[in-house]
Amino acid sequence: MSRSQAVANALARYDDDGDEGYYARLAKLVGVKTESQNPDRLKEHYAYVKDHMIPALERLGYECRVYDNPFEGCGPVFLAKLIEDESLPTLLCYGHGDVVLGMEGQWDEDRDPWALTFDGDRVYGRGTADNKGQHLAHLVALESILETRGKLGFNSKVVIEQGEENGSKGFREILGANQDDFKADAFFSSDGPRANIAEPNISLGNRGCLNFNLVANFREGGHHSGNWGGLLRSPAVRLTHALSSIMTPKGEILVEGWRPKNIPDSVRAALGDGERSAGEDGPAIDTDWGEPGYTGAERVSIWNSFEVLAMQIGNPDRPVNAVPPLARACCQLRHVIETKQEDILPILRIHLDERGFSDIDFEEPPEENRGYFSPGRTNPDHPWANWLISAVERVGNGKCGVVPCSGGSNVTGTIGSELGMPFAWLPMSYLACSQHAPNEHIFKPLMREGLALITGVYWEMGEEIGYRP
Amino acid sequence: MSSEASRAGTISRVCDYFDDGTFEKELARRVAFRTESQRPEGLSELHRYIDEEMIPAFEAMGFKTRIYENPHQGCGPFLLAERHEDDVLPTVLGYGHGDVIQGLDDQWTKGEGPWVTARDGDRIYGRGTADNKGQHTINMAAMRAVLEERDRLGFNAKVLIEMGEENGSKGLREVITGNKEDFAADVFIGSDGPRVRADLPTVTLGNRGGEPFDLLVELREGAHHSGNWGGLLASPGAILANALATIVDENGAIQIEEWLPPPVSNSIRMALKDIEIDPGVDGPEIDPDWGQPGLTPAEKVYAWNSFEVLALKIGNPDKPVNAIPGKAWAHCQLRYVVGTDHDNIIPALKKHLAKHGFDKVQVLPPHPANTGGFIASQTDMDHPWSKWVRDSIQHTAGEEPAVIPSMGGSIGNDIFTDILGLPAIWVPHSYAACSQHAPDEHVLASVSRNALELMAGLYWDLGGGKTPGRA
Repeated sequence: MSRSQAVANALARYDDDGDEGYYARLAKLVGVKTESQNPDRLKEHYAYVKDHMIPALERLGYECRVYDNPFEGCGPVFLAKLIEDESLPTLLCYGHGDVVLGMEGQWDEDRDPWALTFDGDRVYGRGTADNKGQHLAHLVALESILETRGKLGFNSKVVIEQGEENGSKGFREILGANQDDFKADAFFSSDGPRANIAEPNISLGNRGCLNFNLVANFREGGHHSGNWGGLLRSPAVRLTHALSSIMTPKGEILVEGWRPKNIPDSVRAALGDGERSAGEDGPAIDTDWGEPGYTGAERVSIWNSFEVLAMQIGNPDRPVNAVPPLARACCQLRHVIETKQEDILPILRIHLDERGFSDIDFEEPPEENRGYFSPGRTNPDHPWANWLISAVERVGNGKCGVVPCSGGSNVTGTIGSELGMPFAWLPMSYLACSQHAPNEHIFKPLMREGLALITGVYWEMGEEIGYRP
Repeated sequence: MSSEASRAGTISRVCDYFDDGTFEKELARRVAFRTESQRPEGLSELHRYIDEEMIPAFEAMGFKTRIYENPHQGCGPFLLAERHEDDVLPTVLGYGHGDVIQGLDDQWTKGEGPWVTARDGDRIYGRGTADNKGQHTINMAAMRAVLEERDRLGFNAKVLIEMGEENGSKGLREVITGNKEDFAADVFIGSDGPRVRADLPTVTLGNRGGEPFDLLVELREGAHHSGNWGGLLASPGAILANALATIVDENGAIQIEEWLPPPVSNSIRMALKDIEIDPGVDGPEIDPDWGQPGLTPAEKVYAWNSFEVLALKIGNPDKPVNAIPGKAWAHCQLRYVVGTDHDNIIPALKKHLAKHGFDKVQVLPPHPANTGGFIASQTDMDHPWSKWVRDSIQHTAGEEPAVIPSMGGSIGNDIFTDILGLPAIWVPHSYAACSQHAPDEHVLASVSRNALELMAGLYWDLGGGKTPGRA
């Protein structure tokens, strides 16, 4: 009985082509159309939990509970607990069973987003990377430990939510109202991509995300651009000038209060000189973009980024010679914990007002794109981070990178603030996985390596050398 | 010829024509043709308007008609209607366009939508009521009144009806250049566009040009997760917004020196000094601080250049997602007056963008739905025909008409001035707040009636023998 046996057990499940193998199980999960941005999928969210998660975890001896979402039409939160001994530490594993829209018809080679398609080392399907494939790997790892050792050797909680891609509505409320149910000693989960395809890493935090619309709405209706051009304040000109006061054409943020201050040295040091690599299919990184004096990794991990997600003026499909009455930009700030989310819009209001842009209004973003994730971060010198890094390095027999904070946003901030535990992610996907686009896929060698690593980590948690807070 | 034929009798005829509802009936019939020239599927309607509406009307007035097919595939035809009475008489070329901009059917809030006219108080709603079906309907009715009163016009008339004005007048230049003799005349007198104020008769002597172009920032294929990539990938939106912000300042003043005309001349300042731009009750409020500092509103629109972003799109505005878009696009336009170096507009823009480091911003030909450019042109204020038209209008109206040296909108005036070599005088019958390129387009009944009187007087005078001599 050893770690390598447990890892071999997990990999055998991964390599198994039969009905009980990893990919047969993943295919069943991908087949449930759990789009959380589609209000008609409530039934699918419950099916995912009741028909798939509960049987899988009850089989392992977990005690399961489903929390209905306090928000109308939003999917439930699922919790499974396996408490072996109150004196042992408890690990919380998180996953989300919802996915972004299927985008049927937009996939290459007309692939069905709701079925797995194998192409060499790539396995396509909605949710393969984000996040069904990753939380399934944790279930397989835990199962392998139980089978190899007969017990975990620690306590385990597994939480699955069904609304991550829609802003995790209700998740904070459910956690807040049931803190004892969800509390644990450390958080260990997988989501998102590795920073560098060639090396495993843990991620100790996430940027928060606030979406908002900027609107210049000056009058009703368009007016002939010849007869009125020069006489009417142009929404397009006002809004583009306001945007240019927020960010330079080189990506430098000009709103002083949006520029993070006092990033701890330990965080910056942990980033080291790690460079980002998207893999051969990823987009080319713009080295001349972003905050000057920062590396690419720093720009994503410890700095804020502003984006114009979408913008419309006039009728782009059929432009006419008229001064448009309105210009609207759907904007986003991804931000680190040093920038408080509640300060973001008040700071911008003052910034715009001071520059004469009081005619630019704020507006709630469209319902389906109201991302309000708070940021979260565990310090790289926290004992949990230290233990996990060494465990991954022992298991993988190689270096484990540390991303003090991932660029994306998720429930990290909510878990940190509601449950107050240290957290770490071990991502198994890679940057070019198209996770929010057509052609979402996982890369087999990465998933296999990721499964081996987390199985090894779980094994060590049950040993003498396990993390003991 | 009736022994009592008179100027007053002619005017009385057009007033009866208006008051008994015939004007509104004729206009309603014409508005019902969906002559949208920016939509390829509108082509059959463009032909039908000429065949079923214009030709019968002109033939009934003793005009001969000829159709010139458009050399551009899919574009509407041109009609030349001619009534030649005597070689010694002056020949007047008139103009109207039977096409309209898109109906924008689902955006109308007034009347019965674009294709059915609807009277509401002084307003008559419908697409083309102002631009331009209402205006050529007025001029044709005024000529008919002279014919009925005098049994002849007393001058030679040519009227050009084009069917692609809203789509950039494609083919007009070629057809006129290739048939100069057919369109030859002594003076051009046409109607399009708005008066300076609804109740003030107006003479327009030229127009601003319009140069459309697109800007495109295309950085990569597809969109990328804004969390994982935010900070690593350049934002096309930020780049385009910044580039646009260098073209005009935050108050709309143009920042590209080559895009500016020479300073406004004294004679133009004088002509414009009493002209106030009156948007009317429902017109948009003029922003006094907008545009070039130091100019009056009239100077800004009749004697200066303006830049506008007509349309812009980044990402998916209907369903925004948390991704960095791959590209950003804007469809822009410079309106410019005579004196601006037209050929240098695009090169100067490219130079400007390069100078400011915007090598990622491409300057491209305009969106296919709005490719039409217009060249600026102007007839001199002191030209004898310019004075003659103003005198005729003053005779009818009892007051001097306002003079716009160069109207804000573009009317393809250079085709008449530069290709045919004519003095070109426009007598507009609409008003600024008519929503002519937007939903809820309308004309004012009172202005239309007044315009009928002015045009009846003017056509009467043209046949009265006291016109300027031939050059």
